[in-house]
Amino acid sequence: MSRAWRGAALAAVLAILVVALTPYLWIFLTSFKSRLDALADTPVWLFTPTLEHYPTVFLDKGYLPLVWNSVLVASSTTLLSLVIGVPAAYVFARHDFAAKEDLFFFFLTTRMAPPISVVVPMFLLFSALGITDRPLAVILAHSTFNLSLVVWMMRGFFADIPREIDEAAMMDGHSRAGMFLKVLVPLSAPGLAATAVLCFILSWNEFLYAFVLVAFEGRTLTVGIPGLVTPHGTLWGQVAAVAVVATLPIIVFTFLVQRHLVRGLTFGAVKG
Amino acid sequence: MSARGIGGAVLDRGVVPLLLLPSVILLLIILVGPFFYMVWTSFTDLSYSIPGRDGNFVGFDNFRRLMRDDPIFWDSFFLTLKFVVWVVSLEFVIGFGLALLLYHFIEKRRLVVTLLLVPMMLAPVAVGLIWKLLLQGDFGMVTYYLRLVGLLDIRAALFSDARLVLPAIMAIDIWQWTPFVTLVMLAGLMSLPREPFEAAVMDGARPLQVFRDVTLPMLRTIIALVLLLRGIDAFKEFDKVFILTGGGPGTATELLSIYTFRVNFKSWDLGYGATCAFMVYLVVLILCSVFYKALYWKEGRAPAARARS
Amino acid sequence: MGVRFEAVSKVFPDGTVALDRLDLTFETGEFVVLLGPSGSGKTTACRILAGLEEASGGRITVDGRDITGLPPRERGMSMVFQNYALYAHKSVYDNIAYPLRVRKTPKGEIDRMVRAMAALLQIDELLARRPAQLSGGQAQRVAVARALVWQPDICLMDEPLSNLDALLRLHTRTELKRLHGELGKTFVFVTHDQEEAMTLGTRIAVLNEGKLIQFDTPKRVYHQPRTRFVAEFIGRPAMNTLEGEIAGNRFRAGGLELPVAGRAEGPVVFGIRPEHLVIRESPTAHSIAFELDVAELVEPDTLLFVRKDGVALVARGKLDPDRLSKGAAVHLEFPEDQRHFFDAETGERQGEHQGKHTS
Repeated sequence: MSRAWRGAALAAVLAILVVALTPYLWIFLTSFKSRLDALADTPVWLFTPTLEHYPTVFLDKGYLPLVWNSVLVASSTTLLSLVIGVPAAYVFARHDFAAKEDLFFFFLTTRMAPPISVVVPMFLLFSALGITDRPLAVILAHSTFNLSLVVWMMRGFFADIPREIDEAAMMDGHSRAGMFLKVLVPLSAPGLAATAVLCFILSWNEFLYAFVLVAFEGRTLTVGIPGLVTPHGTLWGQVAAVAVVATLPIIVFTFLVQRHLVRGLTFGAVKG
Repeated sequence: MSARGIGGAVLDRGVVPLLLLPSVILLLIILVGPFFYMVWTSFTDLSYSIPGRDGNFVGFDNFRRLMRDDPIFWDSFFLTLKFVVWVVSLEFVIGFGLALLLYHFIEKRRLVVTLLLVPMMLAPVAVGLIWKLLLQGDFGMVTYYLRLVGLLDIRAALFSDARLVLPAIMAIDIWQWTPFVTLVMLAGLMSLPREPFEAAVMDGARPLQVFRDVTLPMLRTIIALVLLLRGIDAFKEFDKVFILTGGGPGTATELLSIYTFRVNFKSWDLGYGATCAFMVYLVVLILCSVFYKALYWKEGRAPAARARS
Repeated sequence: MGVRFEAVSKVFPDGTVALDRLDLTFETGEFVVLLGPSGSGKTTACRILAGLEEASGGRITVDGRDITGLPPRERGMSMVFQNYALYAHKSVYDNIAYPLRVRKTPKGEIDRMVRAMAALLQIDELLARRPAQLSGGQAQRVAVARALVWQPDICLMDEPLSNLDALLRLHTRTELKRLHGELGKTFVFVTHDQEEAMTLGTRIAVLNEGKLIQFDTPKRVYHQPRTRFVAEFIGRPAMNTLEGEIAGNRFRAGGLELPVAGRAEGPVVFGIRPEHLVIRESPTAHSIAFELDVAELVEPDTLLFVRKDGVALVARGKLDPDRLSKGAAVHLEFPEDQRHFFDAETGERQGEHQGKHTS
């Protein structure tokens, strides 16, 4: 491939990277800008940073509990989905039974279900059960898609481990349960970690379920965002601070699992 | 085999279906239950705003209304389709192109891909927020530069102009999700075996012919997968549009899920709202089946079919 | 004319030298075999010839035309790959037709040529199938058909038989030889299997560690190996080589002593092929007695693994292994015209009445 082509390609990729990353960079910078700098007519790139927005919005305006709620909900749904989903994934990976693929398709539809279709009846159901406005409602709602994610991803990871390993472990004296816990799970640890992180991310980023099912106490961070954007004068510095806190941890996590992202996002169809 | 050994084997066998039970039960309660409740509600006249309508059975009235008396629904439906087609096509072309660039010309692929992931890993609400700031009329950074290069009129405000707002929303979605296409297509390219490409080269094919005759056919299934996945997700789009325009100005960006939201939570017309919700679910379900078939089409081509040599 | 490698080198980015100034010339119509162990550079040489890899230095000419920088499609060569590299999404017919389609051959012509080639390789019944439905041997023949259908002057084959099972390998080997005879094209065949090389090639190029060691007909490579490496690589089981010394017209290695004449004194490597050792029932004037370790039956021959005073040898002959037991005495003769001598340091062959050269 000639030099000219390579140069053009490099330029194109760099341009695309700039387009991809600048918006986020901008909101990051804005969170440190004074009101004047943030609302300036001409975009301000060099400025004296201020840390005032973070304490203002999180402490004075009480957004810190929202962060905690997000952490609580995301962790809990991840844990719940893993505990219930991983054994199910094992069954799909290693055993055959009638209607196996139909059941698997059922799991697929749960992940694809449009939140808007299900959120109203879900709300009514949770009202009847008395768990609305509590994190539990959102945890359960998020588990609907996280559970399928776990089952789909872990089925693939378990299937990658040759059956012979199971058999060797049992010849070595393990019971089936022991083999599962002491051999299969450790072997699929990277996949398990990636799945867990992906569940966390999906839950953390989710909006609609959290928005509808919980009014005040159990609000997650994403739900808190629209509240800051009002028709009469949005405090962009503070909004930016919330946005940064809502997104930075996720970016860090993404970099940790990017190796397995493709598999998770394509339902195991592409290994990446 | 000893008695305990046989007993152990039976226990093993008996345990298996038990492992599936918790997940199935949870999903049945949390998802299937509400689903059927939604279906039921769509046959009632439930409304929180109109007195006297507390869920009486009305048969197919809601469906009739949807089919005949609600042009707004159909406007929204076709608007959403338009959105999906544009957005998925452009994301695919740009994303695939980028993947090809990375595959053929760039060595530090992993680094580039990792950086590219940022847009798609941001919470969609946050994405809406970020672009709301960037495209602000008075102090938006992107508006400023667009005006500078003459692409945007000095007086135009993107989100209040009915002609500009939908393209703007589409552009934002493309910004967010093109990296997804690139990620998957690149993984696909890297998973292809090297030999058929060398064979094509030895057979005399030029680079473009190799792309058309070898690369594309071998990527067929992955392409179908990507298109379907994005199609389904784009059809369900809600978060970004909600915070950016709320469906406006007017109904210029009222995608189907936004419309359904309005019917349910602004008009509180829950019976009819359930009918709308059901339609959304139906379309997604159909797309899901196609997706599933495509997935198993790929599996079916596995070497299992190959005769022993 | 023909094909000429001129000082072709290949160094990989991590520093490995795959080819070290290879000089090789062969004529059109030959069946040239590139033979060597893994890492010898044989596949690299083939791929550089094909244009799939770039040489780090040197050049290649074909009939006087410098092809060094040309892309593969302008070189007039085709290739058969080790794992067939068939187009999984095309039918067998389309696989074979592809090189013709790319060259914009008229449709009628394509059909005629594809069917003729399929008939030649006896795969005409498989034309509608897909690669996934073929057995290994069938897939291999499709790959060969595809490589030959457009009648290239040179056909390269990169270990095409390595993925086939033993029986199929032998059968396909004969087929390839027949094809070469019928078509009269130049074949360049890469392999690590010396038996394949010996049966197929008109000439064998033995490579090791990126260098050409010997380029000769099979007969000469067998009878006059240029180095110890070639001597040990060719023939199964490998030639017996003993490191020892010549002093006072006798070769000594361990407890073995052989009368030799007309050779210089000093350290030397002595070689003799198992099949050339003459096995006698009882001692003769020229025989030396050894003790039997193991006897292996490789019908119709028997391999005798013998030892004596720290020297181990393999002999090959036609006898009944049941008549011998471990520890039995085996009497071997070392015919003078089957002896090989190699320089103890360089491994180079020493000719008749020759000795160690000081350089």
